[in-house]
Amino acid sequence: MSAYSVVFGAGLWLLAVAAVADLALGTRRPRLVQVPYLLGAAACACIVVAGAGALAGRSARLWAGGVLGQGTAGPAADQLSGLFLVIAFGAAAGVSLAFASWAGQGRPGRRGLGASYALALAAVAVILTARDAFTLLFAWEGLTLAFYLLAGFERGRPGRPAAALVTLAFGRLSGAALLIGLLLLAGRSGSLSVATFAHVPPGGVRTTAQALLLLGFAVKVGLVPFQIWLPRGYAAAPGPARAIMAGVAVNVGFYGLWRTLALLGPPPSWLTGALLVMAGLTAVLGIAHAAVQPQLQRVIAYSSVENTGLILAGFGVALVGAASADRLLVAVGLLAATLQVIAHTAAKSLLFTASAQIESATGTADLDDLRGTVRRLPWSGTGLAIGGLTLAGLPPTAGFVSEWFLLEALMQQFRVPGLADRLVLALAGAAVALTAGFAGVTFVRLLGLIVLGTPQPRGSAVRLRDYGLAGRAGIVLLSGGCLVTAMLTPLEIRVIAAGLSPDVPAAATAAALKSPWVLQPVFAGFSILSPSWLWIVMPALFLVVAVLAWAASGSRMLRVRRVPPWQSATAGVEGRDSYTAFGFANPTRRVLAAVLHTRAEVRRIETRAPVAAPSPASLAAPSQASLASFPAGAGAADTAGPGAGVPHVGFSSDVVEVFEEYLYRPVLRPLAALGRAARRLQSGRLDAYLGYMLIALVAMLAVVSALS
Amino acid sequence: MWVLAGLRHGVLTTRWPARPDQYAQASRGPAVVTTARPPDADQLASLCPTGAIGVTGGALSLDQGRCVQCGRCVSARPEVFAWSAGPAGAALARPGLIAGDLPENPENLAALSERLRARTRALRRSVHLRHVDAGSDGTEEWEILALLNPVYDVHRLGIFFTASPRHADVLLVTGSGARGMTEPLRRTYEAMPHPKVVIAVGTDAVSGGLVSPSYATTAGVAATVPVDVWLPGSPPSPFAILHALLLALGRLPGGAGAQR
Amino acid sequence: MPAAAGAAVAADVPAMWAKLTSEVAAGARFAGLFATARSDHLLLSAHLARPAGIAIVETALPPAAASYPALTPRLGAAFWYEREIRDLFGIVPAGHPRLEPLILPLEGAQSPRPRPGAPGGPAVAEPDPRALPQHVIGPGMFTIPHGPVRSGVMESVEYLVETPGEDIPHLNMRVFYKHRGIEKRFEGMTPADGVLLAERTEGTASVAHALAYCHALERMAGVEVPWAAALVRVLHAELERVACHLDVAVRLADAAGLAVATARFGWHKEEVLRLVSQLCGSRFGRGVVIAGGVSALPLMSTADLLAAAGRLDARVTADVRALMGTASFLDRLRRTGPLPPGRAAEHGALGPVGKASGFADDARLARPYDAYPRLGLRPAGPHDEGDALARLRVRWDEVGQSLHLLRQAADELSEAAAGPLRAPCHPHDGRSVGWAEAPQGEVLYDVRIEGGRLTRCRARSASFHNLVLMHEVFAGDILTDFPFIEASFGLSVAGVAG
Repeated sequence: MSAYSVVFGAGLWLLAVAAVADLALGTRRPRLVQVPYLLGAAACACIVVAGAGALAGRSARLWAGGVLGQGTAGPAADQLSGLFLVIAFGAAAGVSLAFASWAGQGRPGRRGLGASYALALAAVAVILTARDAFTLLFAWEGLTLAFYLLAGFERGRPGRPAAALVTLAFGRLSGAALLIGLLLLAGRSGSLSVATFAHVPPGGVRTTAQALLLLGFAVKVGLVPFQIWLPRGYAAAPGPARAIMAGVAVNVGFYGLWRTLALLGPPPSWLTGALLVMAGLTAVLGIAHAAVQPQLQRVIAYSSVENTGLILAGFGVALVGAASADRLLVAVGLLAATLQVIAHTAAKSLLFTASAQIESATGTADLDDLRGTVRRLPWSGTGLAIGGLTLAGLPPTAGFVSEWFLLEALMQQFRVPGLADRLVLALAGAAVALTAGFAGVTFVRLLGLIVLGTPQPRGSAVRLRDYGLAGRAGIVLLSGGCLVTAMLTPLEIRVIAAGLSPDVPAAATAAALKSPWVLQPVFAGFSILSPSWLWIVMPALFLVVAVLAWAASGSRMLRVRRVPPWQSATAGVEGRDSYTAFGFANPTRRVLAAVLHTRAEVRRIETRAPVAAPSPASLAAPSQASLASFPAGAGAADTAGPGAGVPHVGFSSDVVEVFEEYLYRPVLRPLAALGRAARRLQSGRLDAYLGYMLIALVAMLAVVSALS
Repeated sequence: MWVLAGLRHGVLTTRWPARPDQYAQASRGPAVVTTARPPDADQLASLCPTGAIGVTGGALSLDQGRCVQCGRCVSARPEVFAWSAGPAGAALARPGLIAGDLPENPENLAALSERLRARTRALRRSVHLRHVDAGSDGTEEWEILALLNPVYDVHRLGIFFTASPRHADVLLVTGSGARGMTEPLRRTYEAMPHPKVVIAVGTDAVSGGLVSPSYATTAGVAATVPVDVWLPGSPPSPFAILHALLLALGRLPGGAGAQR
Repeated sequence: MPAAAGAAVAADVPAMWAKLTSEVAAGARFAGLFATARSDHLLLSAHLARPAGIAIVETALPPAAASYPALTPRLGAAFWYEREIRDLFGIVPAGHPRLEPLILPLEGAQSPRPRPGAPGGPAVAEPDPRALPQHVIGPGMFTIPHGPVRSGVMESVEYLVETPGEDIPHLNMRVFYKHRGIEKRFEGMTPADGVLLAERTEGTASVAHALAYCHALERMAGVEVPWAAALVRVLHAELERVACHLDVAVRLADAAGLAVATARFGWHKEEVLRLVSQLCGSRFGRGVVIAGGVSALPLMSTADLLAAAGRLDARVTADVRALMGTASFLDRLRRTGPLPPGRAAEHGALGPVGKASGFADDARLARPYDAYPRLGLRPAGPHDEGDALARLRVRWDEVGQSLHLLRQAADELSEAAAGPLRAPCHPHDGRSVGWAEAPQGEVLYDVRIEGGRLTRCRARSASFHNLVLMHEVFAGDILTDFPFIEASFGLSVAGVAG
């Protein structure tokens, strides 16, 4: 066994020890609570090393010797696995450090969070390195279980049990799709080993299996119409567990999609077209909802949906290229998608990690109560800022590079022979461009109001408890992932090239490097970008301007007189007197009313009692509100009217998740009715149960005899 | 069709201060004393409703900073009092507004003028104004706004109006200093970066005008902000406001009428 | 001229309210409520506008009374009047729906109040921001404070816009910034000096305020203004009206971004002000109107005046036609800031604001004065949409009529110039009401003279009466419509804050 195999095994063992430690040590002493997560961080480091080795060609293999059953083999990492191991566990290392710091802040709770966390990471590691269908499915179900445990961990809080159930349901859905697809392939190829599935002859079975596999992985990453579990599930998990779910574990879905393409080749063109349209729709829907959410966790969760759409748009380009046997197109598509995966992993982990500390230190997740966070929580605030800038796609972060690549990849649609393909690619490209615009609005709202805003109420810029040493290290690591990868993009591309080979020739992928520091979208002569140069030029320009300003001002530049911000010399009003996060999102609610089904209501409140703010985007039954109705004669209370109280006006605006509303809810009712009807079978009588068993036995005998 | 409408009447803009303007020369400013020592000087002080006419040792003086241009003195004793004509009404020091046979103090004036010039050296050719209404009756705002119409067109002199005091160089204050506006005026003054110049526009701003003494005013804005240029008039004509602006910036041609 | 009915004294406050409500139900218009501090009681006086003139209804409150039953629940138009009484006298109207400081926020009952009518008073009354109400903001809303130092050369007033982000569901106003204590300043002045102060109450309507004040004195002394003086008065009043309406057009064109229209109407307004200065030496017609007549004839010959008026008329008419044909401009005004006709009639909206909502009570027509009975003034055309466009159309109608009246008055003046310019008017004691139609609406002066000096001069401008209606005209408008609505009202804050 090679050294990398040892390291890989050590990593998995450390995760097991971490799970045991969490269950044994409990949560009483803060120092001890951190142990499972620190062990997890060490495990992640080991696995990253193993993955790097796999990228370099030294495969890391664990021998399990059929322990799980006949025909199974131990997990082994090849280049693609190694690439995703490095990506996922690199981020997981940072998240684990932050998790340790977060958990060590002395909050009493149940034991088991660390165990669920270790289970999730172990399941991710095994999925990424599974060699046979059974191990893959076993680990997949393990991941679903881990997600259920994480999402339902704080099941005392409102909405959590429902969120955990929905997460479990969709996890089972994806597991079921994968099960059927893999078993179809295994049946055809005669063996459970994944490598043999590539040789299944083309036909209905192969196509069906391909579609099912794509469906299963698409449910995992949250493609429309399966995206409704993402916001709930992610927001329900405690603290940095969200980063594990959304930043680390989601990569198994992308890995699965990449592997499906590598093994089974391109799906039929109708499926590719559908995938591209869905990807565009996902991106637009995700960002539309992210722009109008009033809660920090939901904004970040919906941004995951948006990124799924972006990544799958790039993946769609690769599918189209594979269908037309254009290697360069495949390369550019997968390269763009992988770059976006890397940027998303780093940024999403960073965002959820930072927001975990923000939420636990301030006690609220409402954006309107989180203004000016960076003054109170400098480390978390800066982490939020960097993550936000990355996902908004602003230079010089990694998000800018990946979005550029993605748009360039989609712009290659003119090289595709078929008209239908070209149209669909153009549509996806338009959707991606629209998404990029609204992503700017979303993250400006986040950065401008939360990170840079004035703390509300005024003067409450009291320092709160931020991350400890481990957490800061985690945030620095993840921020480095966002920023340094942009600086070193050529190196990143070489790593990706190594990871995608031999399915996509490394030469094709490396053609994205026009010169050591200049990138092009694989095809020459189209367009170039140099993020490394950006990293040199942008600070240099800033420096030049600063020097000029200092020189022109005669060294008076740093003499500062502080005065209150100009507010037209008013004496001020109590409470909110500048744009709130809620108000900032109102134009977006209006503009995207078609996508969001916005309903707005202005109502007069006659009492003097303070009214608790309703949660406008609650996904309960929609209110019977008319659209922006303003009652006639509303001014009368101001000027006349016996017995009129002090009127003030309240505004609420509701957005509707269209798929949940129009796709799932109508289906839930008959299903619930079916469930109630089925409960009648559970009569509790022994003779009924014996009768059922007899019927089942007879039916199975009949089926088996018919088939043989 | 608006383009054609705009071209129909040619150039309407005055060339003042480069060339003399007939309306500017004829415009009526505060009253002045023409006969410094009339025989019945002691009885003349009661003519003025704001107490602008003063008698010191038999010599009449008229504080233009208090003159609300009611015309009573001019119509009662046209040989002693007359209207001042022309736009030159502003002064750099409050005592400079007292017209009469009083000895001037040229050294002080020169020092004042030099300090002002040093402050406004960088602002000569491009200056931004911010206006604050501290309790005026509405006419000074009309006269200031008139600077933007095509007849006066203050933009040709490089003078612009701005909404934010952060961008402003000159603060124009009108009104008799209503106490409700003391704090907002102070906030606006603090919000302006150095160097800044404050011009008190109108008799109300200079001394409170006819409205003061009142429980609700501070008899002019000098109690709230340090005034650099004092411009009397009720209200001062747009030409007088322009003259005051150019005086503050040291851009009056040939220094004509600048030393007051 | 039409006589004002003598003051009808009611037995007590409820009886006075009953009389007021019954008169208003019978068709009179509630024109104001104010208080006067007398030596041993507090006098509450109300004005009712009838076709015959302005009637006064008053009652006395005992000196120690700290409150009285409010009129606002029964007559909504008294809303701001009672708040002003509370600010100036400290007496609380019990049952008032929203008693917050309006023009003088003073904390607590111990602060000395100005109490116009009583000799003496506090030397300084510093407004106390703690007395301002802390508005309860509903969920999902925030407040944009706009003012008092606003963007542009504007009078100081603060608008608190409660908004969810773009719409304006609710507007609060703080008008106390410019309070100068004019009512108290009148006390102790000679009637001649009172004209000067009346001109400076609301400077853009100087002539109208001077006219209203002088009408009160003339009615008190029982003198009739000579014909030549009446014509000169009409001349200046109409020129002032044209200037104000042109100012509104400049502000609207500026808000709409029509640079050429802004420049041209600015030029026309400048021409009007220069014409006025050539007629009397002051660009705002100050010093012309005195008690009993006018101070001097116009300094310009009537032929020159007619020629200038003709030029003005031609240019303004051409530009008005172009402006009212610009679709982008009309779009901004149509259905912006609508005032329902019912509300306008209920409140008794004055001036163009009322006329545009179908409520016309022009003092020049209903209770004519000076030369108006003999000059041909027609009522403005019917408008009842009540939006900003209707208010602008009403203003153009008035400008056309004003220029027509101007020419008529100039023609008549060329024959009547030889007559006397003033009748002797020196009332020593008395109390009377005078009115005039300012460009913003009707201005009322209630003047009381004792011992040759003013003891109480109540100047109620149309701006004070109309500004409260700003609360009610934001039906579905957004923040960018605000300058149009404000400009279309065309009010002067100096007249509101007093």
